[in-house]
Amino acid sequence: MKWNYKEVGLYQESKEYVDSLIIPMNPISFGVQMKHFSSMHEFMGILTMEVEKQLKGRLLLMPELTYWSEGQDKADLIEIWKIKLAETDFKHVFWITSDSEWKRYEDELPGSLLWIPSIRLEHLEEGQARQMMNDQVHQMLDMLTQSWNK
Amino acid sequence: MSKRNVSRRQFLNYTLTGVGGFMAAGILMPMVRFAVDPVLKASASGGFIPTSQKVSELTAEPIRVDYTFDQIDGWYESQVTNTAWVYKADDGKIVALSPVCKHLGCTVAWNTDKEHPEQFFCPCHNGRYTKNGVNVPGTPPIKPLDVYETQEKDGILYLGLLKPHEGA
Repeated sequence: MKWNYKEVGLYQESKEYVDSLIIPMNPISFGVQMKHFSSMHEFMGILTMEVEKQLKGRLLLMPELTYWSEGQDKADLIEIWKIKLAETDFKHVFWITSDSEWKRYEDELPGSLLWIPSIRLEHLEEGQARQMMNDQVHQMLDMLTQSWNK
Repeated sequence: MSKRNVSRRQFLNYTLTGVGGFMAAGILMPMVRFAVDPVLKASASGGFIPTSQKVSELTAEPIRVDYTFDQIDGWYESQVTNTAWVYKADDGKIVALSPVCKHLGCTVAWNTDKEHPEQFFCPCHNGRYTKNGVNVPGTPPIKPLDVYETQEKDGILYLGLLKPHEGA
C-alpha cells in the first residue's frame, strides 16, 4: 500500500494482513553529487513503485526518507526510527537504499537493509532500461518473499 | 485584345467570393468537427488496447501478457504497463484474467507455488485461484479474479474492460 489517504485507510482496516514496512532512503546534496543523487532518487522511485504494485497487500511503502549526504548524522536518524517503529506492529522492516554508506550501519538498523546499486537509467534505451528494472524488481521480490517464508 | 473579357466588377466578385469562402470554411470547419466529434471517437477501437501477443501462439498454458497505455490519474498522466494472464480454454475461447488478487491487491502468478501446481498463487497471503480464476476456498481471497474482455484483430490480441468473473 502506498502512503496516500486512500491506501493508508485500507491499511488501517486490514492491519492484520500488512506486516511489512518498506522505507526507501536517499541522500540529497547541492554539491558535486547532486546529479548522481537525483538519478538515485528516480531509480528508487521506480523500483519501490513496482515492488509495491506486486506485493501491495502485505506491505506499506513509506515516502522516501531523504537526508543530507553530509552533515546529518545517520545514528540520530536510526535512533528516532527505532523508537517510532517500536510503537508499531510491523514484523518485517526493509530499508532500501543505493547509498553504500548505510552498510556501516547495517547492524544498528531495526530490520533488514537491502542495498541495491543504482542503475543510470538515463544512459539506457527504453527497452533496455525496462528489462534491467524488471530484473532488479524480481531480485527484490525474491528477497522479500524469502524473508517472509523464513 | 481578346483576353479582356473579365471586367473589374467580375474580378472583384470572384476574389471576394473566393476569400470569403475560405474564411467561412475556416470558421465552420472546427464547428462541424466539434459537432461530429463523438461520432469520430466511437469509430475507434472502443476501449480495446492492443497487446503484443499473437492469438495463434496462445496455448492452454496461461502466459503473462503485458500491455501499455496512457493513464490520466488525477494529476498525473503516465504510461502504465499492466499484465494479464491469458490462455486458450478447452472450448477454444480465449480467457484473459486480471493478475490483481481480490484479497488486498497483490499480483498473482501462475504455477509458482510448488505445493499447489496448476493454480494462480498470491505470494502475499498464500491466496490461490484455480486456472479459470475461481478462488480456492479456505484461502484469503473471497472473490474470483476479474476477467478482461478480449478481441482478436489481425491476429493480435486486444484487451478490453475488466469485468467481474461470471462463473463464480
